[in-house]
Amino acid sequence: MRDAVIVETVRSPGGRYKRGALAQTRGDEIGIQVMKGLMKRVPQVKHEDVDDVVCGCCFPEGETGMNIGRVIALGAGFPVTTSGMVVNRFCASGIQAIADATAKIRAGWSDIIVAGGCETMSHIPLGGWVFRPHPDWGDLPMTYVSMGVTAENVAADYGITREEQDKMALESNRRAHEAIQKGVWKDQIIPIEAWKYVKDKNGQWIRTTETFDMDDGVRWPSTLEGMAKLKPPFKQGGSVTAANSSQMTDGAAFSMIMSAEKAKELKLKPIAKLTHYVVAGNRPEEMGVGPRYAIPKVLKLAGLTTDDIDLFEINEAFASQSLYCCRELGLTERYWTGDVNPNGGAMAIGHPLGCTGAKLTCQILHELKRRKLKRGIVSMCIGGGMGAAGIYEML
Amino acid sequence: MSYEIKKVAIIGAGVMGATIAAQMTNAGIECVMLDIVPPFDPSEADLKKGLTKESKAWRNSFAVNGLNGALKSRPASFYSKKNALMITIGNLEDDLGLLKDVDFILEVVVENLKIKQELFAKLEKAVNPDCIIATNTSGIPIKEISSNLSAKNKERFLGVHFFNPPRYMKLVEVIPGETTKKEIVDYMTYFLENVVGKGVVVCKDVPNFIANRIGVFDIANAVKTMLGKGLTIPELDAIIAKVLGRPGSAICGTIDLVGIDTGYHVMKNLVEAIPDDEMVKTFVPPEFMDKMMENKWLGNKTKQGFYKKTKDEKGKKVKLALDYNTMEYVPFKKPRYESVKEAGKTEGSFDAKLKALFYSEKDVAGEVAREYLCKNFIYSANRIPEICDTVYQIDNTMKWGYNHQKGPFETWDAVGVKESVEVMKTLKLKIPKKITEMLKKGCESFYMKKEDGKYYYDFDKKGYVKIEDNPKIILLPDVKAQNKVIKSNAAASLIDIGDGVACLEFHTRMNAIDADMIAMIEDSCDIVSKDFAGMVVANHAANFCVGANIFQILMAVENAEWDLLDNLIHDLQYANMKMKYLDKPVVTAPSGMALGGGCEISMHGQRCQPCGETYMGLVEVGVGVIPAGGGCKDLMVRCTEGLPDGTAEVLNLQPIYEKVLMNIGQAKVATSAMEAMELGYIRKTENISLNRDHQIWDAKQLVLSIAMTHKKRKPDMIPVMGESLMGIAHAVLFNMKHGNYMSDYDEHVTMKLAWVLSGGQCMEGTFVTEDAILDREREAFLSLAGEQKTQDRIMHMLTRGKPLRN
Repeated sequence: MRDAVIVETVRSPGGRYKRGALAQTRGDEIGIQVMKGLMKRVPQVKHEDVDDVVCGCCFPEGETGMNIGRVIALGAGFPVTTSGMVVNRFCASGIQAIADATAKIRAGWSDIIVAGGCETMSHIPLGGWVFRPHPDWGDLPMTYVSMGVTAENVAADYGITREEQDKMALESNRRAHEAIQKGVWKDQIIPIEAWKYVKDKNGQWIRTTETFDMDDGVRWPSTLEGMAKLKPPFKQGGSVTAANSSQMTDGAAFSMIMSAEKAKELKLKPIAKLTHYVVAGNRPEEMGVGPRYAIPKVLKLAGLTTDDIDLFEINEAFASQSLYCCRELGLTERYWTGDVNPNGGAMAIGHPLGCTGAKLTCQILHELKRRKLKRGIVSMCIGGGMGAAGIYEML
Repeated sequence: MSYEIKKVAIIGAGVMGATIAAQMTNAGIECVMLDIVPPFDPSEADLKKGLTKESKAWRNSFAVNGLNGALKSRPASFYSKKNALMITIGNLEDDLGLLKDVDFILEVVVENLKIKQELFAKLEKAVNPDCIIATNTSGIPIKEISSNLSAKNKERFLGVHFFNPPRYMKLVEVIPGETTKKEIVDYMTYFLENVVGKGVVVCKDVPNFIANRIGVFDIANAVKTMLGKGLTIPELDAIIAKVLGRPGSAICGTIDLVGIDTGYHVMKNLVEAIPDDEMVKTFVPPEFMDKMMENKWLGNKTKQGFYKKTKDEKGKKVKLALDYNTMEYVPFKKPRYESVKEAGKTEGSFDAKLKALFYSEKDVAGEVAREYLCKNFIYSANRIPEICDTVYQIDNTMKWGYNHQKGPFETWDAVGVKESVEVMKTLKLKIPKKITEMLKKGCESFYMKKEDGKYYYDFDKKGYVKIEDNPKIILLPDVKAQNKVIKSNAAASLIDIGDGVACLEFHTRMNAIDADMIAMIEDSCDIVSKDFAGMVVANHAANFCVGANIFQILMAVENAEWDLLDNLIHDLQYANMKMKYLDKPVVTAPSGMALGGGCEISMHGQRCQPCGETYMGLVEVGVGVIPAGGGCKDLMVRCTEGLPDGTAEVLNLQPIYEKVLMNIGQAKVATSAMEAMELGYIRKTENISLNRDHQIWDAKQLVLSIAMTHKKRKPDMIPVMGESLMGIAHAVLFNMKHGNYMSDYDEHVTMKLAWVLSGGQCMEGTFVTEDAILDREREAFLSLAGEQKTQDRIMHMLTRGKPLRN
């Protein structure tokens, strides 16, 4: 089977929920701007050469509805001949899009596909605008359980303390702050002309734009004392707080994937390839344990062990589940030495749901390149009780 | 000229200023609130926040802080926090321009004559030539504060003294200066009573006016009586308490609440201001209060005063009381007096209990009551005409400003003027000449009722003078006394309040709903339909109606009288429906608590004229049932009405029904009429009566105004979510239960509620009849009433007075 390679991978900065720089920008607009930025970076590829646009999105409604993949393709200037689609595997949607694109190219059904994810959490509520759990599932509503409650369940069932969680949250923010100071993300970010509604001198609302070029969710300086004061909102007497949970965030990220032959033909230097990708199911009420099952599953498929993996991006949906997964996977020490989430995670720069898999892909590939390392894993837990994991190999 | 206050400026954003501003917005009056620019430099922390000496945020920071304080105050100062939008803040250097279009400016700054005079010199130039100018001083003479104003401005200057907290205290003292125009005083009285909802007493310009003269004497007198009789602090508070008509916090508890320093300074100031007062020595603070000031034991704000609340080694809360001899805090033990206990148990009105204690010879409590009250009586009598001309001004002041149940002269009447004079003689007290004179003339009480109204004894005219009737105050007992009862039973009466309007008055204990009350609602509807222009549903009780009589419900359940219960609920539902669909206008006028069934009755008026202080909610889940008098049904109507035709079928009703589910499921109680509007219990188009005394009149005017064009309401059809709501409720409640926010039984009760609200196993956007929802309310109610845990909840509420979360 032929190889599918990633030749470029970019992302928007993450904008904080409601108060961040992207809170007033339409979700499709974020996606369109990232897509335009990606295409500019690969001038060898003409728009008409791109066969398909695959976009992950958790709540493809409202402005990210109506087949957001197709909307972004047309909005970003692709010809009508370039198709588009939406992929939804909740929090794994972004990497699922890349995996689907990779598989399609390897099968020989496509030559060039742009895949990634796009989400506006500021505009589309978690659960969507029209939330309709099945009325007959009264005794079994686990599928609809709130993510916060699942995080509390993991903390309670596996003995993860509040202190541990806060410590990880602090470390995540510290790393992200350092990454921004050092400018390590500069190469991967497409600055967004973010929408801002302001009043003009006549008191009328008008739309203006403002350039937004770096994640704005990092809480630094932070202290454990400060975090300890927060109340756990999901459960009275619980341990999961706003600080040790992922931030709700707006953002988009896309990668260009093509067959190895095509890359050669266009004289493009491939960055990496997604060699293996799996999804594993688990109990919905402890949704966060997903990576603990998905990572061993993907490693087994590849015939590798964690020792063969240089860097991990394990999405920090909640500190409780991240800590648990690291512990079970024997990665706790490697977390603290910086092999896991080297530049901080979702507790600092956010978890834009359907975009996250694509965003973490972008982050890990740039980091592997920067450190000249070989292999990385992107993994995350998934609402409804699943985990996804993909192995990237640098080329 | 005629005046109309549409915009007000409050100068000084301290606690008093900001909370007065809040009350102005409650009354719908726009407000400007200014304070000084901070007289110091921004701190390091301020600079870090981006505040500089020049920045607007810094220059306005006193006013900003004042507004934030009012927003956070407990009890709440605003009817709704949204009212804060009606306050424009600024500072006294940059924003004097904001004052040019205000109609009334009130100064509420520190009690310092020089500062006030300088401030007014500045304000005088900034306001327009018709602006009414006032000071909220609590003691500095008006003539001194206004001494430098121009003659023209003095004519529009007066004292307007609010009491803390201004939203809740009824009293406002209005103090005209020597040259203040009468029309200004009259208009301000009108404005404060009718718009701001207060009770006005016009005072003379004497030190501390009326309330803080008589009130501080009352307190000082109590403290001196305590020292004289060698009582402890808790002993004093056990005697001069409820039976004597004092608030629950009694004497020392009240001072702790207000602040020892406040009381202390007022006493000291009075000693200087009224050297010729015959009781000036009483105002000299006792030595132990000097020590309390030194120790900064200033009451609740410093966590210790006369009392101290602390925790023992085991972490248990304990209350201590100050021993003023040793200046140590000792464990609090509630003192018991046989005489107080007996008086409390005396059959009859407040007067009978008061009298029982006053004449008791059982123990020291009677002695204390006699000495304290007699001194109060005499002091009050001696203040006429020094501080005001009539007895009722002093009585109103003490009731409205100090929360006394009765004023000194009303209290005096209660114990009997003639008999008490004998007591005074034995106590060797000097009886005022005017009292001896009055008795000599055969006038043995300060007040008396005649056919045409209420009279008071006037010391100057030496005879009874009629107290002017206020047509806006409709007193149901007075109307009833004039043979105006149309129909009556044990629970309620229908009364003719004139002009073709009838008033339905509830009068059960706590105004709980029973079968009689329901029958009266139905009968009243029939009578009004035939013979009247419309009906007001209102009463004078502290609470409009606190819901169903749960004792009767529990009895019915225990005796398995399900049909009886079903009928009772059915009757309430259809009594309410009868009001809603009557061919004559029905206006409900809730005030105080309107809970459960009380809320349901309020909601079934065609219109509502609530008092500002209305505390409304459907609280049935607290006793393990759901609203079944039409409350679920009508909240559904109210939350879905107003949608344009053709939209309810296609709209996502989820946020609306989640709100209804949470309002009832969490027993949310609105803390004002405005909040009740936000929760949906009162329509936002209704008007609010700020003055409760005027509420029945207001409601009557509303009936009359709509009677002309009144049409019977068309039946409501309610858009529902059907089964979809059940799925949503399952998921939402599951998460709440797992977050320990509700018990299994809470979930069970709330699911029943969702079942009612769902409207049936139908498609989303189906319209159902009101009857269909009423049937579901009844079915859900009866099924829950049959459950043990609901019965436990009812029992707990009956025995402990608070909800059980089982």
